[in-house]
Amino acid sequence: MRFFKNVFSKLHVFVLWALMSVIFWGWIFTFVTDTTPDKKISVYFYVPEIRDTELAVELEKDMPPGLKMIKVHNFQYVMFNMESVENGDVFVLPESQIEEYRELLTPGDAGTLIYDAETRTGGADSYAGYEDEDYYLFIGANSVHRADGAAEKIAGDILKAD
Amino acid sequence: MTGEIVELYSDGEMSGMKKKIRVWTVALCLLGAAALGACIAMAAMTGTGNAERMELYAVATATVSGWIVLYCAYFVVGTCRRELLHAAMLRAEERTRVEGIVTVTKAKLAIRKSITARRVEVRSPEGLTRMLVTENRAAKLMNAGAVAVYSAHGYVAAYEVRS
Repeated sequence: MRFFKNVFSKLHVFVLWALMSVIFWGWIFTFVTDTTPDKKISVYFYVPEIRDTELAVELEKDMPPGLKMIKVHNFQYVMFNMESVENGDVFVLPESQIEEYRELLTPGDAGTLIYDAETRTGGADSYAGYEDEDYYLFIGANSVHRADGAAEKIAGDILKAD
Repeated sequence: MTGEIVELYSDGEMSGMKKKIRVWTVALCLLGAAALGACIAMAAMTGTGNAERMELYAVATATVSGWIVLYCAYFVVGTCRRELLHAAMLRAEERTRVEGIVTVTKAKLAIRKSITARRVEVRSPEGLTRMLVTENRAAKLMNAGAVAVYSAHGYVAAYEVRS
């Protein structure tokens, strides 16, 4: 009884501490789980749903040297942060969206078919929830990993992932 | 009529309170450091696959350990520190001797935040004198058979028993 009375008398301090813990450790973990663009490959899938963590873990099993992590994002969720999207390394887009985001893609790249709507099969289809249209894979126009071949290597791994 | 004077806060009890504060402070610092170390270890062990789980564990560890430290700092160390200050004040102040029938009432009131006190009434031929005694010293005074009390700042600091 006395314990609860004590707790309630300082409830605002306990609540404030919990909030500070969430904010502080959340902030720390954003640093821990991210790195500079030259040490990571950012992959953007334009799909309604994607098992991003599982796919990233799968792709990290065979990472090119010099990379620390693979980040897989749902393109539709991160569109408000266009600055990070503009530096994306690999994009998977439905056919209907390619022209809209053409400036993000390597100029002249026609893309590689990753999902065939007719046969309903494609790369990483157990991770990505593709809709009923063809999807293409592109290397980003501003990718810092075009020259070292890391973006192509990961793109190839995505095509093979199942 | 004079007798043996018994201090409510003896030197031994004062040093006991100081030791309790020291031990609890060290223990709470160790707990805080251990929790911080655990959170840093969790951050260091974080990979792509376990990031969400590790963040949840780190937040839970920091929150719960912080709650424990805050609770003990306020209600164990803080109370003991306030009691020590209170006792030091009573020992330092000039005292007034009041002789008579000493009664400790059941009425409690809060003084200095988490310290509670009981009312003491001393009936003498001159009339009724009221003062306070801290809750954790009330039983000592109640069962002592005191014939007089020494008060400072309206609190009982010592009592006298027939020798």
